[in-house]
Amino acid sequence: MYRYDEFDLGFVSGRVDQFRDQVRRRIAGELTEEQFRPLRLMNGLYLQLHAYMLRVCVPYGTMNAPQLRKLAHIARKYDRGYGHFTTRQNIQFNWPRLQDVPDILEELSEVEMHAIQTSGNCIRNVTTDQFAGAAADEIIDPRPVAEIIRQWSSLHPEFTFLPRKFKIAITGAPEDRAAVRFHDIGLMAQEDEAGEVGWSVYVGGGMGRTPMIGQRIRNFVPHEDLLAYLESVLRVYNRYGRRDNKYKARIKILVHEEGLATIREQVDSEFEKVRGGILTLPEEELSRIRAYFAPPQFVLSDDRFNLADLKRNDAGFARFVEYNSHPHRQAGYTSLTISLKPIGGVPGDATAEQMEVVADLAERFSFNELRVSHEQNLVLPHVAIRDVRAVYDVLKEYALAEANVGLITDMITCPGLDYCALANARSIPIAQDLARRFGTPERQAEIGPLKINISGCINACGHHHVGHIGVLGVEKKGTELYQLTLGGDASESAAIGDILGPGIVAEAVPDAVERLVQTYLGLRETKDETFIAAVKRVGAVPFREAYLAT
Amino acid sequence: MQILTANELLSGASVYFGDDRHWHQDIQRARIFSETEASELDGLIAAAVATKRLISVAAEKVRIDKGRVVAQRLRERIRAEGPTSPRHAVQPLRESDHVSL
Ligand code: SF4
Repeated sequence: MYRYDEFDLGFVSGRVDQFRDQVRRRIAGELTEEQFRPLRLMNGLYLQLHAYMLRVCVPYGTMNAPQLRKLAHIARKYDRGYGHFTTRQNIQFNWPRLQDVPDILEELSEVEMHAIQTSGNCIRNVTTDQFAGAAADEIIDPRPVAEIIRQWSSLHPEFTFLPRKFKIAITGAPEDRAAVRFHDIGLMAQEDEAGEVGWSVYVGGGMGRTPMIGQRIRNFVPHEDLLAYLESVLRVYNRYGRRDNKYKARIKILVHEEGLATIREQVDSEFEKVRGGILTLPEEELSRIRAYFAPPQFVLSDDRFNLADLKRNDAGFARFVEYNSHPHRQAGYTSLTISLKPIGGVPGDATAEQMEVVADLAERFSFNELRVSHEQNLVLPHVAIRDVRAVYDVLKEYALAEANVGLITDMITCPGLDYCALANARSIPIAQDLARRFGTPERQAEIGPLKINISGCINACGHHHVGHIGVLGVEKKGTELYQLTLGGDASESAAIGDILGPGIVAEAVPDAVERLVQTYLGLRETKDETFIAAVKRVGAVPFREAYLAT
Repeated sequence: MQILTANELLSGASVYFGDDRHWHQDIQRARIFSETEASELDGLIAAAVATKRLISVAAEKVRIDKGRVVAQRLRERIRAEGPTSPRHAVQPLRESDHVSL
C-alpha cells in the first residue's frame, strides 16, 4: 500500500501542530466556538449528542495491521474501548475529550493516518471496492488512481470551500461494490476498443433528502487525463453550485436543474482548457504509485473449497466460507469479510481487542493488508484457502465469525439518535431487533441475499435509499416513526427505493419486514431468485399490500 | 416549563444550568424556568456563551413526571441519559470541566 513520502509526512505533522495550537487557544478562551468550529471540523472533530466525535480517515478503505492496531490503542487509551466503522470506509470514535485530540492526531500521524477532510465542504475520502486489488472480476486495481485522487484533492486550494461536501467513489470491477452511481462523481473502469483501460465518469448521484442516480457524463477518460477531467467537473460545480441554499447545494441538484447536456458542455469546455496541462498524469508517475500497490508474493496453489464436503462435516464453517469469502484473482486465495454485524450487536462497531485480533490475522494470513467496506465490515483481502480454517477459528473465539455477509442481518446502520446530533430517530435498536428476528442461520439461508439499510434521518448516512428494504427514521409529534422503502439497489443496476406507506412505530418494524420477506418467499420463482430480483420482476404492489396489511 | 442545557467545552458532555448557577451533569439538578421566568433565558444564554466554556447552549422544554424532570423531546432524554442500546453512561465531567456563571 501507499507509504507517505516526505511531503505527506511534513504536511500531516504540520497539521497536528497547527491543531494543537488551535485547541490550546480555544481552551484559553482566545478563540470563540464560532471561530473554532470550522477549524475542528477541518480536522474531523464533531460535537455530537453526548461528546465530541472524531472521524479518522481510512483512505479508500485500505489499512495495514499497524494502523488498525493503532486505532485499537486510541480506542482504549482515549475513548471507551471501541470504534465505529462508517459507510465512507472511515472510523469514528464517540467519546474523545478535546485536549486529547491533538495527541490522538499525533499518534495517528505515526502510522500515516489523519482526520483531515473527513468533514466540511471539501472533497471527502475517496471510497472504493473493498476487494480492490484482489477481486477475480477486476479489470484494474483502482487504488493507485484513488491514491492519486487523494493527493490531488488534499487541501486543493480551489476546492477547500465548495458549495457542499463532495464525494467520489471508484471501482475497477464491472460488479459495482462501491455504489459509484450514488456519488457526486463515480468512476468505473472501462476498456476502450483498443483494449486500453480508462474511466467511465458518472456525475450527480447522491442520497440525502433528494436521492439521485448518477448519470454518465463521459464514456471514457484515459488515465492521463483523469485529473484534468475531475478538475473540470469540480470547477463547473464550484462556479455554478447553489451556494444560496444548503439543501440544493450538492452537484446532483445542479445536474438536475441544468440538465446533463448543459453540464457536459460546460465541463467539456473547461476540459479543453486544462487538458494536456500540469494535471496530465505521466505514465511514470502512475507506475511509481502503482508500485506501492503491487500484488503480494502469492504462493502458487490450486487449493479450492469443497463446499459440499464442508456442509456435511462442519456446517458453521461451511456457512462462513459460503457467505464471507469472495473469489480472488489468484488461484488458491480468497478475500474474507469479517462481519461487524453480530446478532444483536451494534452494526459497524469493533472493540479494541477485536481490532487487535484482526490486525494480527492480517499480519499472519493476509500479507499485512486490511480493508474497510462501505457496508461497515472489515476484510482480509488475501487469505490462502488453506489458512481459512485457522482464521475462522480465531475469529470465532472473538465473536467475529458471524456468517452473514450479504444476508438480511448484514445491515448498514448509521449511529442514529443514540449518538448523532442531527438524528430524528434511533437506528441501532431497529437493526438489533431485526437481527434477532431473522438471525438464525437457517432463516438467513432460506431468505438469501437481502440488504436492509437504516438511517436515523433523511441525511441517509445509512444508505436507506439503496437498501433492498430501506428504513428511515422520522419524528412525528415526539414519537420515532420508521418509513420503509422497497427496491433500492446500490449495485450497477442502481435504483432508489419506493416508499411503501405511512411510517410505523419501532415495535412494528420487525413484523412489517417479516411480511415483506414472506411475500418474497411466496412469489419467488426459484430459490435462486433473490429478493431484489423478485421485486424488480413483480413490482412493488404485492409488497405494498403486505406492508399495509396489519 | 424549560431548562437550560449546553455541552461543556473540554469533555463535550451534556450539562444543565442549576439553581446554584453551576452547570451540572444531572438533569434533575436543572433549574426549571416557568413561563413567567422565560424572559431570563436569553440573558443567561448570552452569559453562558460568553464564558467560552459552553457550546450549543439552548433552552429545552421539560415536564415533571412523578417528581422527576423529564425532557419533552426524546433527543433530549437520550442526551440526558446516554445511548440506549447498549446503554452507555454519559460522558463524565472531570474536576476541570465544571463551569458556573
Ligand atoms: S443519517 Fe442522520 S442520524 Fe444517521 S448519522 Fe447521518 S445525520 Fe446522523
